[in-house]
Amino acid sequence: MNFDAAWLMDLLDGAPGADEMTDKLTACGFLVELREEGDGGEIWDVEVTTNRPDAMNHRGLAREAALAAGATLKPFEFELDESDEPSSDLATVEIDDPTMCTRFCARVIRGVAAASSPEWMQRRLANSGVRPISAIVDVTNYVLLELGQPLHAYDLAKVGGAKLIARRAVAGESLATLDGETRKLEPGMPVIADAYDVVGLAGIMGGADSEIGDDTVDVLLEAANFDALSIRRAARKLGMHTEASHRFERGADPELPPLAIDYAAALIAEFTGGTVCRGRIDVRPRPWEPHELTTTASKVSSFMGLEIPLARLVEIAEGLDLAPRAEGDTIICSVPSYRVDLEREADLIEEFVRHVGFDVIPAKLPVLATAPGRRNPNWELVDRARSAAVNSGLAEVMTWSFIDPASDAEVESLPLCPGTAVELDNPLASTQATMRRSLLPGLLSAVRDNLNQGERSVAVFEQGRVFWLADDAPAEGERLAAALVGSAPGEHRAVDFADLKGVVEGMADELGFPPLKWRRGGGPWLDEAQGAVIETDGGRIVGCAGRVASAVTTRWEIKAPVFAAELDLAAAAREIPLPKFVELPRYPAVTADMTIEHPMDLSFAELHVAVHDLAGDLVEAIDLQNRFSGKGLPSGAVRSTLRLTYRAADRSLTQNEVNEQQEALREGLSQRLGVTFA
Amino acid sequence: MGLERLRKVRASFVADLAAAGSDPDAVEKLRVAYAGRKSGLLQDLTAALRGLPNEAKRDYGQALNELKKFVENGLKQAKDRAAASAGSSAVGRVDVTLPGRALPRGAEHPVHLVRRRIEEIFLRMGYDVESGPEIEDDWHNFEALNIPPDHPARDDQDTFYVGSNLLRTHTSPVQARVMERRQPPIRIVVPGRVYRRDSDLRHSPMFHQLEGLVVDEGITVGNLKATLETFLHSLFSDDVQVRLRPGYFPFTEPSAEVDISCIFCDMKGCGVCSGSGWIEILGSGMVDPRVFEAVGIDPERYTGFAFGLGLDRVAMLQYGIPDLRQLFAGDQRLTRQFE
Repeated sequence: MNFDAAWLMDLLDGAPGADEMTDKLTACGFLVELREEGDGGEIWDVEVTTNRPDAMNHRGLAREAALAAGATLKPFEFELDESDEPSSDLATVEIDDPTMCTRFCARVIRGVAAASSPEWMQRRLANSGVRPISAIVDVTNYVLLELGQPLHAYDLAKVGGAKLIARRAVAGESLATLDGETRKLEPGMPVIADAYDVVGLAGIMGGADSEIGDDTVDVLLEAANFDALSIRRAARKLGMHTEASHRFERGADPELPPLAIDYAAALIAEFTGGTVCRGRIDVRPRPWEPHELTTTASKVSSFMGLEIPLARLVEIAEGLDLAPRAEGDTIICSVPSYRVDLEREADLIEEFVRHVGFDVIPAKLPVLATAPGRRNPNWELVDRARSAAVNSGLAEVMTWSFIDPASDAEVESLPLCPGTAVELDNPLASTQATMRRSLLPGLLSAVRDNLNQGERSVAVFEQGRVFWLADDAPAEGERLAAALVGSAPGEHRAVDFADLKGVVEGMADELGFPPLKWRRGGGPWLDEAQGAVIETDGGRIVGCAGRVASAVTTRWEIKAPVFAAELDLAAAAREIPLPKFVELPRYPAVTADMTIEHPMDLSFAELHVAVHDLAGDLVEAIDLQNRFSGKGLPSGAVRSTLRLTYRAADRSLTQNEVNEQQEALREGLSQRLGVTFA
Repeated sequence: MGLERLRKVRASFVADLAAAGSDPDAVEKLRVAYAGRKSGLLQDLTAALRGLPNEAKRDYGQALNELKKFVENGLKQAKDRAAASAGSSAVGRVDVTLPGRALPRGAEHPVHLVRRRIEEIFLRMGYDVESGPEIEDDWHNFEALNIPPDHPARDDQDTFYVGSNLLRTHTSPVQARVMERRQPPIRIVVPGRVYRRDSDLRHSPMFHQLEGLVVDEGITVGNLKATLETFLHSLFSDDVQVRLRPGYFPFTEPSAEVDISCIFCDMKGCGVCSGSGWIEILGSGMVDPRVFEAVGIDPERYTGFAFGLGLDRVAMLQYGIPDLRQLFAGDQRLTRQFE
């Protein structure tokens, strides 16, 4: 909020210079964010926290400044001359609903002439960010900025029945407000009405029909106190935020309206040549009652970690007009009407901390048990996943948790789709309206953007959550997704399925997934020829991997083949057991190759299982050396060369032994699978 | 007389050997000059033995033998060196200035780098690292934290709603969840992704926070101050100044905004600190007794402090990334800068 520095200083006796004053204000909780040159002095942009509506005006801030800087707040003085004509003969006020309006003051100023406010007032208004308009309007704004009381001035001639009623709106009412809009009112909204119609949105904005104009002769002035919650709800529903609503929403001083209305009336009379009618109309269903707060010096001291004498607390409380009484170790404070934030002992202690100052309190580390810190298993898991992906050479990206519903809808066909989508009620954009159920759509967008940046090789991963509804309750799961496009890193060839599978297997291994099986699938999201569903032996689907179908990549405007995979981390081990040492072999291994000719339909997995079953105990490893099809082979036939590693734990194997084993294996394979050997 | 000559020959051999280096031709010349059968120096010296008086022969002979061994050794090493250099120069000479063949490397996102660094600091101080749901209920995100419906603080945290639930607007709901589950002493940090319905140059609808909470008997404002100073010194540098100034959060009272002295301009005033010399880095405060009441912790017995900071903002400050939104653009070139 902008403050006119000269105005602020003018309310104080013995104020320090501007530099010291801004430092002191910042130290007690009013950060002076910006100082800039205004008209005839500096403008200070001060951050007044939302719990301190009492300091959202010059006098309120000056009260804090006085205590913080050792200055004195000048007494508030003005003179008001009244005519003999009683206000109550000219206008009446009624509070229909005391839950929305706790006090309503009004005054009548007769015989005003159109005028401008004096130059000094215009300057102060302008420096505070308010545009000067006319003497009457300027005075209402000025009193708001000086004291914090929102006011409204009506042209008395345009107030039907010369009566103001604070009530709730009823069905079908509307109001043309001062900003030129016509607003439909919902039943229950707090309004000010005359004898016939709504003339203002209580505590928010006045109506255009009763607006002060150049032809206004008699002014009806309003200074009221409205219920914070009622104003807040109405302002939100109407999408309005005004100087008045800002203060009422946070809580205005219930004892301020009489003083503020007298001050405003005196200024209006002075600037417009009008006369103030005798007496103030003041309707208050329930008088405000002061309350007391109590704490002790020992409690404040132990809370702060600094010994504070009771006398210092009394001094601070006096500076805040809390009328303190000391009894033994106890301090009893009476809360002034404007301090709506002081409700509990904790609020009082805060005042002492604020004015003792954080800079004075000595820093002392807490003494805590010497137990080592532990990370939640979920963090351990996701960081292991991220580390596995980094170890595979992938670069991490972060994409939005909310995505385009159209992209998300396509995820339905993914084998990993967890359930019904979670839709945002109030998205920022229609393209960010659904919580993602898969990381792949976001990752595809990242791939596209990277390619568009001219990247020739993209190798990225994302670790993050997906969201869905399970029995109408939101659920979340951790995922890991990877995408490879373009040339294989550091090599002069394009990435392919095997690159992706290598990455996925490496990550799954590092993450302690149970033994996994790959079977063809994942369409239509993944290419029918190069897509796989990854599942456990028990058939639980834990991921998918493959070339993304060209129909999908086309929609993302990607021309290059994209190899992508996603893993559900729920299937990963929560803890990786410590590896167990295996005795190192003492005798050398013997390797022997076997080239098997078989139909393409026989999957490598099936071949591997058969070899594994039939090979004797001496086989330590079975590795694929080479795979060949094409020239010299019948169509549909493949030659797979396996390298078998033989080793015995207790002796060196002879070539003869190995040859016998190989022969037996060939026979077994030929019988079981009908394959031949090259 | 004779011994003196042997010393001179030894000295000249050492010098000649060094000069020959690993050049095979030079080494060969050296061999002929000293150990050559016909006219090598050692031959001359051997011949000289005969002309010596008998009493001098023994000493001279011994010294001569040592010299012979010394020369032999020196020549052998020089020959090996020459052979080695000849061998490598013939085939496979590598231009060592050619670029190496790099193995592909991965990289972590800068926000996670920052998160893990901060976690590490607190783990060493004995804090647990906690986690919680991103889709939250109103109770944990707002009400338990002393933000009742219609509280003005809800304006500052524009919220995405999902039916009766919402996307958490801060990591603080995890505080409430942990306190509901467990009695003090508590000391935790909670990193995580949060959401606010706000998007401009300085705000992203999705960002990351890290929250800290300590609850025990006798926790003081001085404890809060020391913990934050220790943390910020570990994260930035011991030279950084830390300033607490009163602020307002519904879930702490008193609350403090925490600034560090500007790490870019040394407090002279620059664009990053808007000329103030200070950078706002943390929000903090003493846990409001109402929060304790809401989660079932006795506010008469326990006090505590809480703090929170933006991980994205720390990443931007530490790595000099100017635009928050660049962090979520999925650009691998950004991440690969942090390999």
